[in-house]
Amino acid sequence: MLTLAFDTATADATSALVDADEVLAERHSRAQTLLEDVDALLRQAGAHPRDLDLLAVGLGPGSFTGTRIGLAVARGLALSLDLPGAGVSTLAALAAGAPGAVPVVDAKRREVFALVDGEPRVLAPAELPLEPGAICVGDGARRYRALFEERGALVPPDGDERHLPRARFHARLAGRAGPVEELEPLYLRVPDVDA
Amino acid sequence: MILGIETSCDETAAALVTGGGEIRASVVSSQAELHAPYGGVVPEVASRRHLELVTPVIRETLAGAGATLDDVEAVAVTQGPGLIGALLVGVAAAKAIAWSRRLPLVPVDHLDGHVASLYLQPEPLEPPFLCLLASGGHTMLLDVRSYTDRVLLGSTLDDAAGEAFDKGARLLGLGYPGGREIDRLAGEGDGGAYDFPVARVPGLDFSFSGLKTALLYAVRDLDADAVAARRADLAASYQHAIVRALVERVRQAAERTGSERIAI
Ligand SMILES: [Zn+2]
Repeated sequence: MLTLAFDTATADATSALVDADEVLAERHSRAQTLLEDVDALLRQAGAHPRDLDLLAVGLGPGSFTGTRIGLAVARGLALSLDLPGAGVSTLAALAAGAPGAVPVVDAKRREVFALVDGEPRVLAPAELPLEPGAICVGDGARRYRALFEERGALVPPDGDERHLPRARFHARLAGRAGPVEELEPLYLRVPDVDA
Repeated sequence: MILGIETSCDETAAALVTGGGEIRASVVSSQAELHAPYGGVVPEVASRRHLELVTPVIRETLAGAGATLDDVEAVAVTQGPGLIGALLVGVAAAKAIAWSRRLPLVPVDHLDGHVASLYLQPEPLEPPFLCLLASGGHTMLLDVRSYTDRVLLGSTLDDAAGEAFDKGARLLGLGYPGGREIDRLAGEGDGGAYDFPVARVPGLDFSFSGLKTALLYAVRDLDADAVAARRADLAASYQHAIVRALVERVRQAAERTGSERIAI
């Protein structure tokens, strides 16, 4: 069971090739170079696109454009290779890489994406419910480090890899696979229409 | 066959074309209705819709041609100019298809795509020719010297001709996008009823924003009943002014380049 997993919702784009539970290769880059990364992953594992069995795709929340690039690539691959896919929340993948921590994604405009009662939400960092001593991870935690630390939370050093979504966790969290066209991005915000 | 994909503005489109320029299938899914309530194309709304439509439109294109991706030898995609978030959807899907099948990926300039529409069957045009490109998004004059060499002679400094139509329609209370409605109404009116001026800008460029202002003032001087009564005349005069400006420029460009053929 060869799974190609990727998430381009945040500036820390991630991709991985996973065979059953074994991580064959994992890369980090930017959304725009996702396919270059995917190509490198398959070469590294000596695999052909036709060997893939499943796509595990990050649905966000994060950058609208970044999230769409990942889903557009997933749709193209699924159409071309007749592959099923499973969607994974970027917040869930972050949480899986940092057990016990609170995942926080930068939502720009002085807001963050986070899980509130298990549901992805967009809110001001000051409104995020936090237990004393909670560990916050993700680019939102890095950005609002001072605010979270002031509230009694812990934020690992910026270089700590718990801040990065890693596609190996998307592969692990991939639930029931279905048509990739049915996977919907987690935008959490309506479009800005004052064009 | 070549699979073409275009997502630069508010239409999600795909086509299958043979090397000889024969269109095997072409699907264009317009988002105009989606943007109508906002009075213009909203980039984020457009990008979201492109993501939903991009693969269904490609599948419909393949089905329309009775083909599969196995019949595709190259993938061509609009790389710009256009709405960046919208373009990225088409480019990402095109890259994924090309990469997974080891097919060449050809990035295409949106304007070259417009010009290349003239090279398709059943009546392909051969360069050189002078080309007036007028749509909702652009108004430009191109000196097309060969299949690979074109020179931009002039373009609009503000609104595209199609935009001028839509904005005029809004001033006349015809809704958005109402360019077609102006065209229809103009048939019932007198194009000489109002003398709307079109700004004369240097060179071979166009400018339609002054014309729009002139219409605004004309409408403002009338009460609602009078606007209703004279709407057809206003539409006809407005359309007349736009077309006159286009024709004048095409003539000047043809003189300057010595072009014997003009494509519109
Ligand atoms: Zn165009």
